[in-house]
Amino acid sequence: MGPLISNGIISQNTNFFIAFLIGIAFGFILESSGFSSSRKLAGVFYGYDTVVLKVFFTAALTGMLGLLFLSLFNWIDLDLVYINPTYLYSTIVGGIIMGAGFIMGGYCPGTSFCAASIGKIDGMFFIGGMFLGIFIFAEGYPLWEGFYKAKFMGIPTLSQALGLKDGIVVLGMIIVAMGMFWVGEWAEAKFPREEY
Amino acid sequence: MKPRHFLAIIIIPLGLIMAAIPQNTTHPYKLTPAELLEHVNSGMQYFTPDETADMIINKDPSLLLIDVRGEDEYEKFHLPGAINIPLSALLDEQWKDYLNQDIRFNLFYSNSTVNANQAWMLTRQLGYENNYVLQGGLNYWVETIVNPTPPESTSPNEEIAKYDFRKGAGMALGGGAAVRLSGSGQTAPALPKIAPRPKKKRTEGGC
Repeated sequence: MGPLISNGIISQNTNFFIAFLIGIAFGFILESSGFSSSRKLAGVFYGYDTVVLKVFFTAALTGMLGLLFLSLFNWIDLDLVYINPTYLYSTIVGGIIMGAGFIMGGYCPGTSFCAASIGKIDGMFFIGGMFLGIFIFAEGYPLWEGFYKAKFMGIPTLSQALGLKDGIVVLGMIIVAMGMFWVGEWAEAKFPREEY
Repeated sequence: MKPRHFLAIIIIPLGLIMAAIPQNTTHPYKLTPAELLEHVNSGMQYFTPDETADMIINKDPSLLLIDVRGEDEYEKFHLPGAINIPLSALLDEQWKDYLNQDIRFNLFYSNSTVNANQAWMLTRQLGYENNYVLQGGLNYWVETIVNPTPPESTSPNEEIAKYDFRKGAGMALGGGAAVRLSGSGQTAPALPKIAPRPKKKRTEGGC
């Protein structure tokens, strides 16, 4: 049956509409759980607040389990689900740039819009910086095209790389995530901050 | 209870279930039994020998005859332009692009219709379109096209016209009065070029 778009069950336009509704819900939940505060977000790097880690890992686990169960019931064809292709070097460098921006600015791209929408000036500056970065990347594209496309690896998945079946990898991820949550809460107790 | 423990209680058992059950690699068949029965009853998978002969004589490029009998039988006799895909090899990867395409009519035939129908049913269930069966198979082909029975002189005009067409078609296809069952000089035609059907696209997305 799924994915709904590839199989023509819903049109691209309906998809945009659904994405719009989900986007509103996503922004609302981000804002209401405090993700529009750069201090809260930066807390994950200093250990006093690990809610970012917990939220995004929980989302990943939910997504993983959901997709595998849907596939088990033949409700989705996993071969048709889009997976971002891996360009190893640009992924590493992009991760470093994104992480550095995250520590310095206190936002990731989604949460910066969240903050800007409630009128936070640092969020607006962050968005400005993001567009500046996009502009520089696009204008200078010929300069880094070679590097950008280097070490293309297709769409490797963890289970293929490790030679395990998806279910085992998911269980492993769940255990790793639970361990990380435990470490996170330990860090929150160890490095508390009164107000942020 | 901390939210972390609550989450763990729900999510770890689900993970255990996922790890314990075998991975789902089934590719579901496309038709329900009821739908398939409807297709079978409607007889829409059949091409009559007359239609087929007409297409062969006119060298209709949209027709691809597929002989699903064994190789030795194919060597002995096959319809002009037919390629050989033995039923046992039907699911081989090399034939996939021939069977799953939207350019030609694939027409399966065997001696009767049994094997051709089996091939049709398999491809139908795999969701492939444009596959058909030669009505009555080669036996009926010989009966109608190669050695047509003359109608009574009192038959309606259509019957006589049909007979004339069949006689002409039989001659054009190298049959006529002399039934050639040993394929003298019949060589297997080169496989037609097939452009693989474009795969269904993954839905693009990203964060």
